[in-house]
Amino acid sequence: MSREPSASALLAERAALAVILAVFLAPIAWLISTAYKPARDIFNIPPTLSFTPTLTNFVNVFRYFDLARLIESSLIISLGATALSLLIGAPAGYALARARSKWAIGLAYFFLAVRTVPPVATLLPFYLMMRDIGLLGTWGAVILIDATLNTAFVVWMMFSYFRTLPRELEEAALVDGCSLPGGFLRVALPLVKPGLVASALLCVMFAWNDFLYSSFLTRAESKPISVALLTAYGTKDISWGTLGALAHFSTLPIVAIALLLNRYFVQGLTRGTH
Amino acid sequence: MAIVESRPDKASGRTLSPAALVPARVRLPFHRRRQAFLVLLGAPALIYVLLVAIWPLARGVAYSFYDYNLLRPARTAFVGFGNYSALWANEAARASIETTAIFTVAAVAVEFGLGLGLALLLWRDSAFQRACLALLLIPVTVTPIAVGLIFRALLAPDYGLIGYYLASFGLSGPRGLLGDPNTALPTLIAVDAWQWTPFMALILLAGLKSLPSEALEAAEVDGANALQRLRLVILPMLRPAVFLALVLRTMDAFRIFDIVFSTTNGGPADATNVLMIYAVKQGLEFFNIGFASAVANLMIVCIAIFSVAFILLVRRADKEANAS
Amino acid sequence: MKTRRMLGIAAAMSFAAFTGARAADKPYDGVTLTLASQNDQFATVMADLAPKFKEATGITVKVDILSYPELLSKVTADFVGHTKGYDLATMDIVWAGQFAEGGYTVELSDLIKRDAAEIKPDDIYPVLMSALGNFKGKQVAFPFAGYANVLAYRTDLYAAAGLKPPETMEDMVANAYKLTDPPKHYGFVANGQKGPAVAQDWMQYNNEMGGSILGADGKPALNSAANIKSLTVYKDLFDKCAPPGAADFDWGGREESFRQGLAAQMQTWSIGAPGYFDPDKSKVVGKVAITVAPTGKGVPKKYGVGGWGMSINADIDEKHKEAAWLWIKWLTSPAVHKQFNLMGAGSYLRISETHDPELLAKFPFLPVIDEVFKNGDGEYRPRIPQYPQIQDLLGTAVNAVLIGHADPKKALDDAQAEAVKLF
Repeated sequence: MSREPSASALLAERAALAVILAVFLAPIAWLISTAYKPARDIFNIPPTLSFTPTLTNFVNVFRYFDLARLIESSLIISLGATALSLLIGAPAGYALARARSKWAIGLAYFFLAVRTVPPVATLLPFYLMMRDIGLLGTWGAVILIDATLNTAFVVWMMFSYFRTLPRELEEAALVDGCSLPGGFLRVALPLVKPGLVASALLCVMFAWNDFLYSSFLTRAESKPISVALLTAYGTKDISWGTLGALAHFSTLPIVAIALLLNRYFVQGLTRGTH
Repeated sequence: MAIVESRPDKASGRTLSPAALVPARVRLPFHRRRQAFLVLLGAPALIYVLLVAIWPLARGVAYSFYDYNLLRPARTAFVGFGNYSALWANEAARASIETTAIFTVAAVAVEFGLGLGLALLLWRDSAFQRACLALLLIPVTVTPIAVGLIFRALLAPDYGLIGYYLASFGLSGPRGLLGDPNTALPTLIAVDAWQWTPFMALILLAGLKSLPSEALEAAEVDGANALQRLRLVILPMLRPAVFLALVLRTMDAFRIFDIVFSTTNGGPADATNVLMIYAVKQGLEFFNIGFASAVANLMIVCIAIFSVAFILLVRRADKEANAS
Repeated sequence: MKTRRMLGIAAAMSFAAFTGARAADKPYDGVTLTLASQNDQFATVMADLAPKFKEATGITVKVDILSYPELLSKVTADFVGHTKGYDLATMDIVWAGQFAEGGYTVELSDLIKRDAAEIKPDDIYPVLMSALGNFKGKQVAFPFAGYANVLAYRTDLYAAAGLKPPETMEDMVANAYKLTDPPKHYGFVANGQKGPAVAQDWMQYNNEMGGSILGADGKPALNSAANIKSLTVYKDLFDKCAPPGAADFDWGGREESFRQGLAAQMQTWSIGAPGYFDPDKSKVVGKVAITVAPTGKGVPKKYGVGGWGMSINADIDEKHKEAAWLWIKWLTSPAVHKQFNLMGAGSYLRISETHDPELLAKFPFLPVIDEVFKNGDGEYRPRIPQYPQIQDLLGTAVNAVLIGHADPKKALDDAQAEAVKLF
């Protein structure tokens, strides 16, 4: 990261990013564009990009889906799961990174192992468990399971980032009269801000695009948009227009959240902290 | 290199004994208090995960020893390792372990290479880079089944926007990239990379952003060129983030299901028949919970073996790096 | 514009013949029913009809539209866990065996007998009544959406080649070769994707060519000589007469290729048929005709039947069960079911419907559907509890043959060896 890149280097960097961006967004753009096409124009032989614009797909989406409710469900589930996992995961990551016990690394691997479990083994027992505690069909059930996987992830992520912090930073603060919680909250935590922001972003996204758990654990009135998206996937046909129209509402909030969190995604270890 | 590692060394060489500084009113010795504090921080996560995850997990393990079909609960019987031996005896299942391993290694390698490059490009803190990052995360947010549907539509050789031209210019077989047993798996690897490279980049970028700037500046002053800086300074310091990114993606790639399900459903023939296709079919289509749990547990074991091997490799690399 | 048309119909309907329930007798006023529905054309039409039902009975029906794999796993979990998430669920024809064995749904025989005067069972095609819900004497679902397997063909291409619509399977195969002119058009298209897609389409052709999945004893006979022969013909059709991508087509890809004008003929479910005549969806409007599917020489004229029944969750209380039964009776009543189809549900049930002038004016292919249902066969995909596994074995075997990884005999021998283990 040169301090003063030449103008041409900067231009080359931006050009490269623009090309990459185009590659990653083109398939999404195609999906989004299907929302404005009549079914006849989604495919052509030979394929073309021209079509007669229509808003029928949006009319249908508003007619058969309670969009506000779907987005509300998605937001509550993903933000709830993210908040819960950061709240308990970040301190645990710190504790494991700072503990001198041999058990610490073992515990860290245990958390990691929880994430590796394929849902097909745990889905049914979890379903019955949620039935027994009366959470089936509610957002709570999905938050609970998403937060479990996300906590496992956050613990590991934060464990990794806290380990890169020199212990001396907190120890110096302790020498200066800082308390133990103060050392964690005021010294260590601010320095891993990029890690926290990245964890939060990834947690939100995991919960946002989760299909299997959400589909099983919610009911018609509590299902998130990721599940609704796939009702367009019929056996006899795929309603591309519906899928494309719904995709607007499933991607925009995430881009907004990503832009918002991005502002805090800046270098943590600046000069002068030590 | 020397510049980077010398700083912490020098620092830890400083005699610092916080225990000596503990105020008199506290009775517990400092290291005890510290331990208690750390336990307090770690306990909620551990208790939570144990409560929510362990019961279903234990049930999954228990189910795997039974011939248990949801649709015929009356016929449930203890079969010991019967499900596991049936799994091992099944040629298609054994082949799918191999397919899954190939998919995992290739997908993670591609994603790591591209993700690192992307992270380096995104490193600069400017509005442009921030906007790029936010937009690049869009693929990660699309439900993977839908991702499969999109690529299946785009790659269809007869009418797909990309597939049609690939086929007519002879860049794919006449059956299309997904319809040809030789190209189906590489294509799915590319689709997976499309969705998850930005994820890889985000983790690595967070690592880059946490790097202490003095070390980088010092390396620059030393006159190291960009490649040397990357290899000798950045990558070694980035190791925890690299490890995290690789492990997370490996675990998830090993469980690949959705994009395979919505593109090839394991075909053509057995070309893309990954383990999860097998497990989900057994569990959520035939409701053969006992057998499905056995497949799932086998996958956990595979991932565990893989992880341990990986960790040992990293350890050795660590030691070598420290020795040099 | 489709929406406007539907709104118009909905408005007209409020004047129409819904006089079944007077405001005075609404014993289930205030009850809410949740219906798990497959995402086929009928789903949104049911959602559009639900307010009318509420007007008539005071019962709210919430239609939860689900994709196929989601519907199957969610409904099964609901039944097995006794979680009462759904009061009503649409049931695919091939699930009947599983539903009956598990005893998850209300047995409807007595209710049908009780309310026969209202239901007019004589007006319902017998094949639908049995295939879409009856399993070994147990009525686990009530039919509401009968699909007929039909042959859709391009009249323009047939005329240009001087051919007549095929009467036998042999004609159809011969025509397929004659109508293939790559890359402009192909004489044939069917599902080739591994799994249910290829298995179901092949079972259909296999049946028409005189093959059978089960032997006379009810045990699997996947590798019978007739089956091997039909698979050989089928593979040749894929190699020489089908669009190259067909080896990975599921229903969506197959339909798309026909609507794009890529295929000269295709066997398909009648539910897709209205789409070929809709200029919003299709590029072959005015060039398509629908006829009965051909059968092999000497094979009895039996046509494939599929579709959906509506079942009531056995776990719910009596009041909800009665309310759910009321919905089924209402939806399948002659007047409402006719509106249901006028609104584009594509789900036939009653003999009076396929002869209704208003419906005939809109859907001229109804006599073909009538013919199919009169000689319908709902058993070519065996509706037995082991069906999902058999379908999976065939889905793997047939796909491997189509892409040249196995020869028909070996693939079917292997599948048979696995299939017998299930019994």
